[in-house]
This record gives sequence, C-alpha cells and structure tokens, in this order.
Amino acid sequence: MPIDRRLLFNIDWGFLAAALILLGIGVATILSATFAGRNTGLEIKQLYAIGLGLVLMVIAISLDYRRLVDRAPLLYLAAVGVLVYVLFFGPKIANTRRWFMGPGGFQIQPSEFAKLVAALLVAKLFAEAKKDALGLFDVIVPGAAVGLMAALIAAEPDLGTAITLVPLFLCVAFLAGLRARAILGLFLMMIVLGGLGWMFVLKDYQKSRIYTFLDPNRDPQGAGYQKKQSEIAVGSGGVVGKGYKKGTQSQLGYLPARHTDFIFSVLAEEEGFVGVVAVLGLYMFVLWRAFETAQMARDRVGAFLAAGIAGILSFQVIYNVAMVAGLVPVKGLPLPLMSYGGSSVLSSLVAVGLILNVRMRRFVN
Amino acid sequence: MVRIYEDLRAVQRRLGVVQAVVALAVAALVVYFWHLQVIRGKSLLEQAENNRTRTLPIPAPRGPLFDRKGRILAENRSSFNVVVTTERKDELAGALERLSKLVSFDPGEVREHLNTQGPRFRSVVVKADASEEDVAAVEARRLEEPEASVDVVPLRSYPLGVGLAHSLGYVGEISDRQLESGAFEGFEPGNIVGQAGVELEYNRRLMGKDGLRRLEVNSRGVEVRETTRVPPVDGPRADLTIDLDLQKAVVDAMAGQSGSVVAMDPSNGEVLAYLSTPAFDPNSFSLGIKSGEWNGLLKDEEKPLLNRPIQGGYAPGSTFKILNALAALQERVITPQTKFHCPGYLSVYNTIFRCHKEGGHGTVDMTQAIALSCNVYFYNVGIRLEIERLSRYAHMLGLAQPTGIDLPHEIPGLFQDPEWKMRTQKARWFPAETVSVAIGQAMNVTPVQLLRVAAAVANGGKLVTPHLMKAIGGKPFEYPPPKDLGFRPEVVAAVRDAMIAVVNGGTGARARLDGIQVAGKTGSAQVVTHARLETNKHAREYQPHAWFVCFAPAENPKLAMVVMVEHGTAGGTSAAPVAGQILSRYFGVKAIGPGMAPPPDNPPVEPSPAPLRVQTALPSPAVAQSQGPQ
Repeated sequence: MPIDRRLLFNIDWGFLAAALILLGIGVATILSATFAGRNTGLEIKQLYAIGLGLVLMVIAISLDYRRLVDRAPLLYLAAVGVLVYVLFFGPKIANTRRWFMGPGGFQIQPSEFAKLVAALLVAKLFAEAKKDALGLFDVIVPGAAVGLMAALIAAEPDLGTAITLVPLFLCVAFLAGLRARAILGLFLMMIVLGGLGWMFVLKDYQKSRIYTFLDPNRDPQGAGYQKKQSEIAVGSGGVVGKGYKKGTQSQLGYLPARHTDFIFSVLAEEEGFVGVVAVLGLYMFVLWRAFETAQMARDRVGAFLAAGIAGILSFQVIYNVAMVAGLVPVKGLPLPLMSYGGSSVLSSLVAVGLILNVRMRRFVN
Repeated sequence: MVRIYEDLRAVQRRLGVVQAVVALAVAALVVYFWHLQVIRGKSLLEQAENNRTRTLPIPAPRGPLFDRKGRILAENRSSFNVVVTTERKDELAGALERLSKLVSFDPGEVREHLNTQGPRFRSVVVKADASEEDVAAVEARRLEEPEASVDVVPLRSYPLGVGLAHSLGYVGEISDRQLESGAFEGFEPGNIVGQAGVELEYNRRLMGKDGLRRLEVNSRGVEVRETTRVPPVDGPRADLTIDLDLQKAVVDAMAGQSGSVVAMDPSNGEVLAYLSTPAFDPNSFSLGIKSGEWNGLLKDEEKPLLNRPIQGGYAPGSTFKILNALAALQERVITPQTKFHCPGYLSVYNTIFRCHKEGGHGTVDMTQAIALSCNVYFYNVGIRLEIERLSRYAHMLGLAQPTGIDLPHEIPGLFQDPEWKMRTQKARWFPAETVSVAIGQAMNVTPVQLLRVAAAVANGGKLVTPHLMKAIGGKPFEYPPPKDLGFRPEVVAAVRDAMIAVVNGGTGARARLDGIQVAGKTGSAQVVTHARLETNKHAREYQPHAWFVCFAPAENPKLAMVVMVEHGTAGGTSAAPVAGQILSRYFGVKAIGPGMAPPPDNPPVEPSPAPLRVQTALPSPAVAQSQGPQ
C-alpha cells in the first residue's frame, strides 16, 4: 500500500531522531564493552540488526494502525502458536527455550515480538468495551489473553519479558477506566498468584536471585557478585566518568552481560553522571513523545496502542536502569534501543514505528 | 462523510496520571544515580581500584587410566608452574626480564606462547614443571616480584610412554579452534583437555570439575586475600581393556619397525593391545610440547603422529583371500574340495594375471590355496563370485566403513566396486578389475578392519565392535553385542582349518607355537608398481607392506591379532615372526616356527620347512579340528 504523502508531514521527526541517537550510543557502548574480549565485532552485528529494524519500522509505519489492530486476534493466535512451538521444539540454549531458528541459522526471540502483539490485542479489546468505568469482570477476556501469553513466555523461562506484559495490561486497563477497587483486586490476585508461583513455578536460580537481592552478601560469587560489581562500576564512574573504553570494571571483565542487560552500567562507568543524565534525558524525551502521541490520538484504539507500547518501553527502561543501580533484583531484561541483541533491536524499532504510525494518522480518517 | 471523533477526555485525564508516574520514576532514578556516582563515587572508585577480584581455576586431576588387571596406564602427579600475572600486557616485558634472573627459562618461547594466546591475557606459564630451587627462588621474592607466582597443577603422566601413545592419546591446553567448536562447549581458555586417543574420545567423562579461588588483589596485582575457595572434584577412574603384559610384548616384538599391531578378544571386541609405531612420547605433550619437537613430529617421514591401526589405509593383499573364501563357500560357488589348476598365471580377459610362484602351485584345493596363498585359485573363485557378491561380503564384514572403535578420527577405508567407480569416476566396471579385487587389490583397509574379519572367523562368524573402554567410575560400558553374519558353521570351520594349515607348513609357518594351535593368514601389499620395484629392488620404501592376521588357540580362540609391518616385504617373513614372538609370550609357550629364536636352554630347532601336510589327503573340517600341532 503506497503511503499517503501528506502523512509524511506529520511524522514526529524529533522522536525518531532521539531513538536513532540512543541506538547509536548503544552501538558505541557495545564496542567499548566488547572490543577487548574474545567475542569481538558485535557492534557490526548490531548495525546489521538496526538496518533490518529500520526496514521493519517503515513497514510498521505504512500499514494503518487501525487495520493492524483489526487483525490483532489473528496475530495473537500466530504468536501463541510460535511461543508454544518454541517451548517444545526450540533449541535449548543455556537451559532455556527462548529461541526460534529461522532459515540459515538465524535466531530470533519470539517473546520480544509477542509483547507488541499483546499491545495490539489489548488496544482492540479495551477499545471495543465502550464503557466509562470497567469492573473486574470486564477485564477477564483481555486479562486471560495476556495472562496466557505471559505464562508461555515465563515457561521458557524468560521471566523478565513475561513481566513486561503486566504494566502493559495495567496501563491500558487503567486508561480504559478500570475502577480503583478493581485495580486493588488485581493486585491482590497477583500477590496470591505470585506466592503460588514462588512455591511451584520459580526455578532455583530465580529464587536465588531474589534472595540475593534481599541480602547481597549471601552469595557474593553468583548473582550478588553481578549486582555488586555493577554498583561499583556505576559508582566509580563519578561525575564525568573514566572515559570512553577506559572503564576498569568493564574492560577487566568484572561485569557480566556487560554488552546486553548491563550496557547501562558500562555507560555509567565510562561517561559518569553527566552521561547518565544525558541518556536518561533522551529516554525521557522518547517516552514523553510516545505518551503525547497517545494524548493526540484520534480514537481510543490509537490512544490505547500508543499508551500500551509507551508503558512497555517505560517499564523496561526504568526496570533495567534500576537493576543496573542495584535497586531491583537482576532479571534478564534488555534496555530498549541500547542493549546488544537482534530481537530486542528489531522489536524496539517496530515499537517506534507503531508510535509514529498512530501520531501521523491523527488527522486523517 | 461525517467525522465522528470519540470523546477521549477521560482517557487523556488518566494518561496524565500514567505520565506523572513515569516521570517521577525517572526522576527518582536520576536522584539515585546522583547519590551513587557523586556522593558515594569516591568510595566506590576506591573499591574499583583496590578491590579488584581475580578468579583463578584450581585444575581438577583427570581420572587415572588402568589396564584390565588394575595396573596404572596414566596418572597425575603434582607439578609446579612458575606463572607471571599482570593486569597490563605492557608491564609483562619488565616482569619477565626481572624473573629471568631468578629462574632459567626461554623468553622467546614465552613470547611465542603469548602471541598464540589472543587478547584475553591474564597469566602466562613461564616455566612448567619447575624444580624445587626455582619454586623456592620465586616464593622468597614474593614481595619484590608480585607478578610471579607458583601454581600447583596436576600433570598427566604415562608410565609406558611411547608404547601406548596412539591408544591413550595425550592431553594439552585447549586450542582456540577447539574453543570455538561445539564439541568443547563450556570450556575455558587454559583448560587441559584430551587431544587424541582415549583421552580425547572420553574427554568430558575423564575430566573432573575444576575448583576455583577468588582473590582480592590490589592495583599492582598483589594478592591481598583469598575470598573463596571451591575445591576441585577429581575425574573418575577409567578401566581399559588393554593388557599391559601383552602390550609390552607387542612393543618389544615391533622394536625398530614401522607398522601396527592390534590384539583383541574375538568374542567381544575388547582390545587387549594396540600399537602404532613409530610413535611419540605423550608425556612431552603434558608439559606443553615445544614447537621444535612438534614440527619434528609433523615433518618426520615415518609419520609418528599417524594412528596407523585406524588411519592407515593399505591394500590387504592375500589376507583378503579369507574374505573371498568365506563368500565363495557361503554362496556355494566352491566347496573346500573344489580344485583349480595353477600353472603360475591365469590368462583371462586378454590379460595375464600372475601367481607369485613362477612355476605355479599345480592343482590345489581351497585349503592348499589359502595355505600356499595361491593367487590363480582365487582369481578363479573371484571370477565366479563376481564383483557384486564380493562387494556385498566385504561390506558385510565391515570393510569400507568405520569399525566404530572408541578412538577419534577413524578412516572408513575404501572398496572399489562398480557402484563406487560410477560414482567417483563416471566409468563402467571392467570384469578384469574383479580379478585384482579377488586377491585384495583395489581397496584400502585399516589394520583394525582386517582384525575384525579375522575375529569373525575365530568366533564363528560374528562381527564385533572393537573397543578399549571397560568402565568409567566403576560403571561398566555397554557395547552392541557381536552381530551374527549368518555364515553356516561348516563355512567358517573350513576357512579356519585353512588358516591352521597356513601356520602348519604354509606361508605363515613362523607363527607356530609349541602346544597351541595358531590359525593365520599372510599377506603383502604392493606399494609401487612392479616395474618401479625392478628399478631398485632393495630400496626400503619400495618394499611391499607385510600382513599377518591370526587367532589362537584355533579351537577356542582367546586372542585375535593383526600385525602389519610397513615395507616388511612379505607377511610370512616379517609379520608372522612378530606374531609368533608375541603369541609365545602371551601364552607362555615356545615359538617353534622355522628360524624363530629358541629359548637359550634348549637346543636349536631344526629349521625344516616341513612338507606340506595338506598335500596328501585333505583334512575334513572335523578331522582338522581334532588334530594337534605337529
């Protein structure tokens, strides 16, 4: 479908530029984190992923978001199918089944895309419930749909991605008018489910991470080591940082997962508080424009879609940065746009595309 | 068209709440980073500088290897390594310079090792297996030379050395290529892993679990204190099928010659002795082999690194007549009594195929033909069998495919037949080629493949899987049971009787034992064309390879063996005596073949080549079995 040229005038160029700058900072930080290690050349792979991601972004822009939302149930069924397939037939890597093998050894993590499908579906379901105030019974269907997806992802196990579906659901449900009492009820339910999950579902390594978070000295070699080293890395960066490629914590290899989930601690160590404020400022700008898009949307579907995606991104940014600072338990949750990883980059760029999509169609019927 | 805008005011109001929550959270993060980086920044920077931790592995000793009677084949002894560790590569030269005044080592070699180590530099061994003086010198200057330290590491040692090099293999530091391969997933640089033989085949199971020490070091790299120590877990013991006594007998018998000897229990495939010679000393690899020594091994024309029993491909020559006879008898193409006339050649397909005996063997039956290794007889048999059936039986008896022995990098060998020729050369098969196949040309077999064929005759027609591992950690290994190939008992018995005749007056007479009946077959494999051999009849590298396959005692075989002497000229003169010497030591009886060294207290045996017993009445299978040795 050729794109209406008038729509191009309404593209939010500032938002797009900020996202691209964050991607660029991510590539530079990945290079710094890995150039001295065994596994080099990752920044090149990241650039390829960004290139492919931009193509997907353009596709995500050019399809009218209302048509996309209309097809959400189909996309949802497909996503659930792939998640089930991965769970049973996906390759086992580091004791998890998160990956989908494409042709030619190309691997993607379907859960990264499933969360966007969930955003489409939630937008559709809540937009159709045209009431001003929703009770608990009104959210059973969307809740069950998102819950099933979260359970499949949690079973991989990939608890970090599974949990991002919670803020998505709560955010959109709240916007759609879920009563405060119902929100309280949902929280209670989650606590009960969480307790059951602790007893029957959580793997030992996940429990140990939570224990370790509560008492870092419990296991200074394992998960606590990671938290402590990250804290030292961030703190030792000081006001202006140790300089690009000069962070001792990162360069000497004390930081695990430094090019993926802990990329922000490399940035904090090498660029200091100044760099942290600058990058968090960029993220704040991106998130703000995303929420603004929801404010401007011409219909409930657009508002819910933009807000849902903004909710996912906000949660990931806030959780990841808090984790790097040692404020919350370590979870495998990448920092959108900056962390190394093809699936994360692709899904982040599709998310950017969907936000742009809603914003530029705010005037047109 | 009328535009109907939805009323979004309620949604927008609630969006404001969400935005506020997000903004507050990000603001809180900024405040916390201020606290961490600006307020606590100095103290955390100090921690980063002074509190650098270093994790060092404590290597676990590999499981020791024992022979079938519990005697040690490979063990570990503690050895000391002098190690230099620096945070920065540019400080290394100075540290090495100062250390060279304390300990004697070759700086060139250290530098060479460093260049191969890649960017992830941590520490380098400057002297492996250091003496007590070296250790004392380094320990005494711990404070002046913080970069130098002494590690205690388990060193793999092989008491028999060269004699078991190709079966046990050796260990060495994992290479970059291995690190990237899937087989070594989860391994770290610096790990000592099996590099050949049993050590490689069973590497993961023999390795223990490394322990680790986590040290706090200051900015100069001096150890401040040890924060954690996880002790290593030793690898489990492994019991091999090797019989050390027999192995030593094999080593002695092959002294000074190139080739292979493999002996196994024909009933179950347990390998009792395994020799490939010339070989290398696996102990020199444990220390990290010097590049000069390694290059010497690589360039040596005798190929000491080649694992001949499973990687040497040779024409089986006359030993193939066993297989030819088995096939022909089973297919009822001949009976043991079938006779052909040998005038010294066979003229067929417009070609003259020669027998090795110029005047011919006269009219012979199958037993005589095997005993005397008559080519003309088997040309005739092969022509009647035809290539398809020869090929089918060769494959059935395990040629042109790996035997499945538990050693790495076995070659499959090769058997030329019409299908192979069409596939590789896109050409039709000529009937004349079948004639060469009938006497073991136009194919490549490994000594272990040939041993399996001999074992199949010994055990009544079953194909075994040769193996060296009996048990790891006390848990016995399960192997597929020998596969019954469906030969009729009288077929196998007839071939066995013919093999007995080989030793009793035939070409393999030098493998005869006193009181124990040996069955065998000689063979020789040409390495150059006839014309080429004529140019220099005595050049060693032109001499054919000599084969001898055998089993004993013939009535109830305990041992099947293949002996291959490279450039030994003829199986009967060079391989059979080696077999005789080994068998006599294994069974504790005298070797009484012609020309075999007599025991010193006995008068020399008359070297009479004894007229062929089988020339007269043909011994029926049943009779031959009951006849003792002459």
